[in-house]
This record gives sequence, structure tokens and C-alpha cells, in this order.
Amino acid sequence: MKAPLIIVGVIVAAALLVPPLLPWGYDVIDWNAVRAEPLTGTHLLGTDNVGRDLLARTLVGTRVTLGVALAAALVSLVIGVAWGAIAGWVGGKTDELMMRIVDALYALPFMFVVILLMVVFGRSILLVFIGIGAVEWLTMARVVRGQVLQLKQRPFIIAAEAAGAPARAIMTGHLLPNVAGVAIAYLLLTVPQVVMVESFLSFLGLGVQEPLTSLGIMIKEGADDMDIAPFALLLPGGILVTLLVCLTLAGEKLRDRFAG
Amino acid sequence: MTLYSVQGLGISIGGTALITGVSFEIAAGQCVALVGESGSGKSLTCLTPFGLSPGIASGSARLLGEELCAADERRLRKIRARDIGFIFQQPLTSLTPHLSIGAQLAEAASQSGTPKPSRRELAAMLERVGIAQADERLDAFPHRLSGGQRQRVMIAAATAHGPKLLIADEPTTALDASLRHEIMALIDEMRVQHGLAVLLVSHDLASVAAHADHIIVMQNGRVVESGPTEAILGAPTQAYTKALIAAAPHLDSPRAPLPEVGGTILEAKDIRVTYPRAGWRRGVLTAVDGATLSIGGGEALAIVGESGSGKSTLGRAIARLGPMASGQTIWRGAELPTRAKMRSADRRLIQPVFQDPLASLDPLWRVADIIAEPLRHLMPDLSRGERDMRVAAALESVELPADFASRTPRSLSGGQAQRVAIARALVAEPEMLLLDEATSALDVLVAAQILALFARLQRERRLSILCITHDLALARQLCHRVAVLDAGKIVETGPSDEVIRTPQHPVTQRLVRASRG
Repeated sequence: MKAPLIIVGVIVAAALLVPPLLPWGYDVIDWNAVRAEPLTGTHLLGTDNVGRDLLARTLVGTRVTLGVALAAALVSLVIGVAWGAIAGWVGGKTDELMMRIVDALYALPFMFVVILLMVVFGRSILLVFIGIGAVEWLTMARVVRGQVLQLKQRPFIIAAEAAGAPARAIMTGHLLPNVAGVAIAYLLLTVPQVVMVESFLSFLGLGVQEPLTSLGIMIKEGADDMDIAPFALLLPGGILVTLLVCLTLAGEKLRDRFAG
Repeated sequence: MTLYSVQGLGISIGGTALITGVSFEIAAGQCVALVGESGSGKSLTCLTPFGLSPGIASGSARLLGEELCAADERRLRKIRARDIGFIFQQPLTSLTPHLSIGAQLAEAASQSGTPKPSRRELAAMLERVGIAQADERLDAFPHRLSGGQRQRVMIAAATAHGPKLLIADEPTTALDASLRHEIMALIDEMRVQHGLAVLLVSHDLASVAAHADHIIVMQNGRVVESGPTEAILGAPTQAYTKALIAAAPHLDSPRAPLPEVGGTILEAKDIRVTYPRAGWRRGVLTAVDGATLSIGGGEALAIVGESGSGKSTLGRAIARLGPMASGQTIWRGAELPTRAKMRSADRRLIQPVFQDPLASLDPLWRVADIIAEPLRHLMPDLSRGERDMRVAAALESVELPADFASRTPRSLSGGQAQRVAIARALVAEPEMLLLDEATSALDVLVAAQILALFARLQRERRLSILCITHDLALARQLCHRVAVLDAGKIVETGPSDEVIRTPQHPVTQRLVRASRG
């Protein structure tokens, strides 16, 4: 699990720290170098179709993509854990109702819902967070509910009841700490999913606005010119794939440790 | 003729030697038992030569003259498929849940390359292990069968390919007393009829005594004593063997006089517990059907029954720790409120101790916090210092050293964890303990120690005890009276000795027979 997390760490550190050190900003156009090859002049990795530095844009795009992903994953964590824990703990009819709502939401084509939100409320990064977080919490809710149902049967929970602990104390003292490991593992698995959704929305032109960029936008632009400037596709594509693979590997390892 | 012979077997994992110098022989039709507490290396000893553990074997283990310790994985797999049958402890988890019984049996029968048996042959296999309506059962899935039936299916699967050696690793430990008896009888029958050699592993010397020809007692990876069963039981030479023999309670073993009984403190009247049927079906399942009982001050009452009789459900309903459909629990003349309305003063009266000691403790909490939990909620006025003092006193009363306070459950053995659970139950000074099979998940020696601890606490603190168990011999050690539960109804009550001497109801008679072994 170490290696994938180290790779993710290096990418995140580079995205946060390196851009100010570069000679070119992500939105500055170098009129002398449009579609420059890598290693021309001060453009280490070349420029895009309007002459903006690709390295700077890739790093800033990574930052935006990861920022959206993290925020959306946290939204899904909060909603999912609260929803799942309440359904599992209360049980009975409440549980049935809450989980049927989850099932119904699952049945909606969620990409369609996000796109609809964009169209109705206009494009904004905030909406991207909310939209993605609001559809990604379903799996988290199911996982947490399952864990709580299992834990509820454990004798130590019944012993806590016998010890006079009120429901709130059992929830915060016993249930949530024991669910935390699994929830964090699924959080790590949610991040790459959200990265995918964000990239896809941006690819469709519904995500982040120009001149700000994200990995998805860069991949779309790179794909448009890939016959003349393949490097403009390879770099953001490579980073996205690396991030997805590493986060998924780390998340699966963590999940196996806690849920296995 | 010697079928399986082990000479100077040693086993190591990761360079640490865990087993040294184990030697024994089994002939066809013979049964050898490996006995010892958990961690003594008995399972490792019987599984490692066949490549079924992470351990590395040295020395010699010969099956039909073929050396196993030097064989590679492919050869071992062939040998396992052809000559060996395995039965494990957990009948629930030893069968694949998504395959029907018939499919699992067919797989087991054809593992050595023989053609798949016909449906009639499969049904015959099930009949041989005493399963009625065998043809129907072939299509059933494991969860439709009871624990005893599952273990029978396991035996059928383990013997389906006609093995010569049957390895049974704690085959009856997860079953209740009367099932144990039947399953061991079945293994004996297979041994006699088919000339199987049996290698039996158990922590309970008494339970194998009637079935093994030869007993090997193990401790810490070494053989302590070995010899023919009569010699080991009749004249044990080692202290450890003597302790093992003495540990298991018998129906007629002597017991210390029980404390005197005061006036009634608890009356449970007409307790009913029902569950809604699974899925969309209407109606309810009745788990406990109108049970009425009473307990005096300082009295211990055992609720005895087979698994599934509703005894745990009844105990929890009385203590307001489980669901209850109707009925009353009256404590010193006043009715206890419903489960949701129990106040601290009510909760303090009855404290539980459960079967699985490790699952009873929150894995993330320290021992001191676990024991202090009832104090924080039931006696919120205590200062920190007073709380720490009471926790220390509780640790002392369950005979654990004071430095256990800072340990986590993970680092405790089963017996130590159960002591912590008992300390938690005692710390708020309850008047009654609810013991839900509190010793049945423990090794014989540890169980005997925990039982002695309960007996001491019972005398010293004048505790009333509601003891839920399937073991009449254990109930008799601790309890003045016994109530026998069958299918949710109390079918017989009376003083323990009287019930054991003259059991009236068929279920009681079966339980008494099972305890006699």
C-alpha cells in the first residue's frame, strides 16, 4: 500500500508547490510558441494549441481535479455515514424506507442528474462539488449500514446498553469508531470515481470554466489535436491514469484490511 | 497395519519452532486423539504434514509408507484428494453457502478423479450419515440445515471419496451437548464400518475419552503424555493431564455447598418474545412462549436447553437487553420498565456476561475504559479518582494484575478477555448476573477457572445468577435450581440435583444422557 500512496503524494505535492516556481503561468499565452514541442525554450513540456505552458496547465489541472474530488468525496462521506448509520441503528421500518430511497436514487442515471443540475443552475465549481457528492454517497451509505447492522449484534454493544450508555454514546463511542476504518477505505475508493466523473463532465464542456483547467478539459483538448501534438494528450492522460490506479490500489488494500 | 505414522515431527513458522518431537501411529480402524488447550499446537500438528497450514514440517510423516514432509504441493494435493477426509469445527463456515448440498457432495466425491456419482449414490451418502429425506435435502442449501445436520453433511463430504484417514479438528466443539453425542457416535460408526483411521483433535479430554483408542496430550508444542486411553484416564502421570481430567465438570462430581437463598428478588411472568417472519411473509415466529420463573436473593437459576430453544432470548428479555412482546419482570415487587425506558438505577441491577469473550469487548477501547463504562453511565457522580479505584478493585476481584488496565482486547487471551468482561459486569455492584453461556467458548481448563471465579463471587457478594447454558453438569456446579426450556416453553423446573437424578421431560432426559457422555 505504501508505493501507491507515495506516488499520489508526489503528484499532489507537485501540483501544490511547483506552479509558482515555473516561468509561465497556466493562463499566460506565449505568442511565440504555439503547439511547441517539449523542451523548446522555457517550455519544459511544450505548449497547447494557443501557446499556454503545458506543464503549468497540467499541474493546475491536477490541483483542480483533486480538489473537486476530495471535496465531493467528503460530502459523500458525511451524507453516506450519517444516512447509513441512522438506517442501520434505528432499523425496522425506518431502515426499509431509507434504504429504498437509496435504491431509487441508484436507479437514476446519475450522470444525467448532474448534467441536468448544470443546465438548470448554470456552471460553477461549487455545483460540481455538490452534484457529484450528492450522487456518490449511495455506496457509502450501504457499506456503513451493513457494518452497523453487523456491529449492532456484537455483544459489546449490548454490554454497553447494559452499562446504561444512551444511544448517542453507543453511536459515538462504539459504532462510529469501529466503522471509521471501512469508511475511510471507501472514501479512498470514492476519490478516483469522482475524478472520473469530473473529468467526464469537463470533457463534455460542463465542468470547470476556461481559462481554469482540469485534467478532463486537458484530455479533451489534447484528444482534439492528438494527430499533430500527441504530447498534449499523453501528459494529463498519464497523470489521470496514475492517480486512478494508485488511489484504487490503496483503497482496495485498506478495504481488505478492515472489511476482510 | 500402520496407516499413518509420525516420527519426530517438528513444525516451524517464520523460523520459530512451534512444535517439536511429536510421534504417533494410527492403524486402520483406530482412533487417536490429540488433546490440549488452544495454542498447544494440536491443529498445526495434524494439518501441516498435509500442506494445510503456513507451517514448515520437519521430521517424518508417512501415510501408507509415503513420506509427506518431503512431498511437493502437487503431490500433497493428490494425496489429500485420494486418501484423506477433513472435518472442521465450524459447520456453518465449512460449507460453501451458494452451492446445494448435492453439488458439494458431488464435488467432494469426484475430487480424486473418479466420475461424478449419480443422484441415487449421493442420496445414499446422506442416508449413511443419518439425514432423513435425503433425496430432498440434496437440493437444499446449507443455510436451510441445522448445525447438527450441517456437520453430518460435512462428514458425508469428508468420507464421500472413500478416504483411509479422517482428520476431525474439534468436530463437535461448536455444537450443543446432545448433538455432540450424536456426531461422535456417527464418526465411531464410520470408523467401525469402513475401517477408517481417525485422527481426532479436541481441547476436551473427557469428550474424546469414550471414542479414542489412544490419547496424546499436548502442551506448548510438545507431547506431555501419550498412551492408551485407559492408561491416560486411569493413571495419568503428568500434572497437566490430571488437571485436564479434573477440569471438565461431571454430573456426579463433588461441588462446594451453594450459598443460602433469601426471599424472591426477581419474578418473570409470562414472558413472550416474537419475531416478524423474514421477508414479506405475514405472521410472527414465537421464540419464547409464556415463560414464568423466579429467583431468590443469592440464588442461582440455570436455564438449560438445546440450541435454538430460546434460552438466550429469554435471558435477554428478562434483563431488558433484547426484544419482548409481552410479560413482566418484577424486581422486589416493582415492575421493570420497558427496554427503551430503563433508567440507570434499573440497569445497575442486572449485568450480563456473554459467550464470546473477545466480541464482548470493543476492540478499540483500553481495558480500563471498558471496565469503567458502566461507572460512567450508572454512577455519574463518581470522581475520576474514585472511578480509577473501583476499576482497580474490579480487576483485582477477577484476579487480573493491575497493569492490565492499559492493555487492549487484542492482546488478551480468551480467558483474560472473559475476566475483563466479568470485571465490567461487577464494577457497578449489580445484584444479579446474567451469564449467557459464559464459559462455553473457552478451553476446558480456562472454563474451570472462570467457573471457580463465579462460584467465589457468588459466595462473597451474595450475587443472584441467571445462568444460561446447554451443559447440565456446569449448571449443577453453580445453580440451586434448573429450568429446562424447549421450543420457547419451560418444560421442567426443580432443584438441580433432583432434575438430574429423575429427569421427567424427554428433552431433559436427552440432556442428562448427553452430559453423561
